[in-house]
Amino acid sequence: MPRSRLPLHRAARRIGAAALLAATMTATLPAWAAGKPQVAFVPQIVGIPYFNAMQAGGNKAAAEFGIKFIYTGPVDANPVDQLQIVNNLIDQGVKAIAVSVLDASSLEPVMASARAKGITIFTSDSDAPKSGRPVFVAQASDQDLGFTIIDELVKRIGPDATVGIVSGAATATNLNTWIGFMKQRAAAKYPKLTLLAPRYAGGSAEQAAQIATDLMTAHPDLKGLIAVASTTCPGVGQAIESAGKIGSVVGTGYCSPNTARSYLKSGAFGFTVLWDPAALGYLTVWAGQQLIEHKPFAAENMVPGMANPVSFDAATGVLLLGPPAVFTKANVDQFNF
Amino acid sequence: MPRLSREAAIALALIAACALFMLTSPYFATAGNLLAVGRRCVDLALIALGEMLVLAAGGIDVSAGVAMGVASIAVGKPLQAGAPAALAALAGPVVGIALGGVAALAIVGGQMPPIVATLGLWGVWRAALYLLLGGQWLSGLPRALDPLLQGVMFGIPPVLLGIAALYCIVWLVLRRTPAGPRLLAVGGGEDAARRAGINVVRTKALVYVAAGALNGIAATIYVAQYRNVEMTTGGTLALDAIVAAVLGGCSVSGGEASVLGTALGVVLLRVLQNGMVLLGLPSLWTGVVEGTLLVLVLAIESLAALRRAGWRTA
Repeated sequence: MPRSRLPLHRAARRIGAAALLAATMTATLPAWAAGKPQVAFVPQIVGIPYFNAMQAGGNKAAAEFGIKFIYTGPVDANPVDQLQIVNNLIDQGVKAIAVSVLDASSLEPVMASARAKGITIFTSDSDAPKSGRPVFVAQASDQDLGFTIIDELVKRIGPDATVGIVSGAATATNLNTWIGFMKQRAAAKYPKLTLLAPRYAGGSAEQAAQIATDLMTAHPDLKGLIAVASTTCPGVGQAIESAGKIGSVVGTGYCSPNTARSYLKSGAFGFTVLWDPAALGYLTVWAGQQLIEHKPFAAENMVPGMANPVSFDAATGVLLLGPPAVFTKANVDQFNF
Repeated sequence: MPRLSREAAIALALIAACALFMLTSPYFATAGNLLAVGRRCVDLALIALGEMLVLAAGGIDVSAGVAMGVASIAVGKPLQAGAPAALAALAGPVVGIALGGVAALAIVGGQMPPIVATLGLWGVWRAALYLLLGGQWLSGLPRALDPLLQGVMFGIPPVLLGIAALYCIVWLVLRRTPAGPRLLAVGGGEDAARRAGINVVRTKALVYVAAGALNGIAATIYVAQYRNVEMTTGGTLALDAIVAAVLGGCSVSGGEASVLGTALGVVLLRVLQNGMVLLGLPSLWTGVVEGTLLVLVLAIESLAALRRAGWRTA
C-alpha cells in the first residue's frame, strides 16, 4: 500500500497503539522499584530558564526529603501534549503529580480518574481553581507583588517622589492587577507619592526605552521608573543608563535576575521584584510528599530548608510560597533564571 | 491651483507638530530631547527605507521588523560570546540579506502575493526568535558596538550621518540610474514593465534583498543602541515603517516612492510619539493619532485625485 494512501486515522491508530504499548511497558515497571515515593512536576514547557530553576529546586527538595522527583513536560507549551504526559505519569503510578496548568478545562476529567486510582494531581505555578485540586502551590499574591515594589521603591527614593510606570499591553490582566495594588498602596501609605498614569509599550523593549526616556524628559523630578511587564525591563534599564540618570532615577520592575542583572550592576535598577522559582519547585515537591503521606496542611507550615513558615488558605486551597523575592545587586548572582 | 507636494505637506505637518509641542512643553525643544528623538529614528529610518523600496516595486513586507529581530540575534550572540565587534556588526547585514533572499524566493520564486508571503514569514521569524533565544533573552550585552553611536561629527551622531548617506545613495539610485525607473515601472504594472523589456523577476528579487540588507543594518544598530534582544524585538517596526513610507508619499499600490518623504514620515512619527508622552496624553491616544493621521492623508490624497480627474473630464 502506498504510504500516501494510508488513511490518517489508521496512521493515528497505529501511533496510538505504539504509544499504548510503550505506556504499558513502563507501567509494568513497578513504581516502588526505586524504593522511594515519587512526586512529579509537569511544567508548561521544558527548556526555559524559569522552569529549569523550578526543576533545580525540586531536585534539591527530593534529595532533602528522600523523594524520587520526576520532571517532564511538553516541548512547546501544548496543552494536549501536557495532558498526554500527565496520563503517562498516572499510568506509571506516580502518587503525586504537580502540574503548571496550560488548559484547566482539559485537566479536570483526568483529575477525577486519577483520584479513582489513588493518585493525587495538584497544581503549582499556574492554577486550575475549579478542578477540585487539593492544593495550589502559588508563587506570590498579586497584592504582595504590588505592595512590595512600592515599599521597596520608597525605601530608596523616599515617600515624596514622582514615579513613572511603563507597562506592556493595556489588556494584560495580571499587569493591571499589579498596577492597581501599587496605586492602592501609594494612596493608603504614601500620600505624597505621585504615580504617573501607566504608559503601555506593547511588548517591545525599544518602545519601553522611548517611553522611559520621554517620561524622564517630561518630569525632570522623576525619581523612580517601574517596568511592569518583563519585556519592558531591558528598555527601562537601558533608558536610565543612556540618559545618564543612574543615581537620580531608580529603575525597578517585575524582572527576572538574568534580565535585570546588568542593570542592577550598573545601578540603573535599584532592585527587582519577582519570586524565586527554585523555591517554588522546592515547595512543590514538599507539598507532594505531604499529599502522599496524607498529612493535611496547617494554616502555617514549617517546611524544612525554608526560612519562613508557609501559609495555607484552607478556603481557597492556596499554599503560598511567601512574600515576593527582592533581587538586588548583592544577591542577583545567586540566581539563574 | 498648484498642488501641494506630499513632501511639502508632510514637512508642514512636522513643523506644525513641532510648534505645538514647543508651545505646550518646555522640554520638547531641548538638545537632550531632540537628540533622543533623533537616535530613536535610526532603526525605523532604515526599515522604512527598505519598506519604501518594496512598496515602490508593488510589494509590501510586514515581516521586516521581525526579520530585524532575527538578525539582531546574529549580532547579539557573538557579542555575548566576546567575538570581535566588527564580526558581530557584519553579522547583521549578512543575516538580513539572507532573510531578504528567503522573502524574495517566496514572493518571486513561489509566485506568492507579498502580503501573504510576508505574513507567513512574520510567523516563521517570530518562531525563530523564540527558538533561537530559547526563553533566555540577550540582555546587558557588552558595549563593544558603542563606537557606532558615540561621539559627534559636525554636531551630529555619526550614525545619523550614516543614515543620511544611505538615504542619499537610495535617492541617487532611484533618480539618477536606470534602476530607478525600472523599479517604479515594475511597481506600476508588471505586465507593462515586462513588455518594456524589464527583467521583472530580477528587479523584484533585488528589492527584497536590498530591503533585507537595510533590515540587517538596522539590527546591528538596534543591538548597539539597546544592548538587548528579546522575543518581541522589532514586533511593531514593520507597521510603523509602512505608515512612515505611506505618509511620505509611497502608494500601497506601487509605482511611487519618495526618499525625502519617507525620511520626513519617520521623523514625524517619532516626534508625535515623543510629544504625546511629554504632554502626558494617555498612552492609548498614540495609536489613535497615528492611525487617524494615516487615514486623513490617504483620504485627502484620493479626494485630490478625484478632483483632478473631475476637472479633466469636465
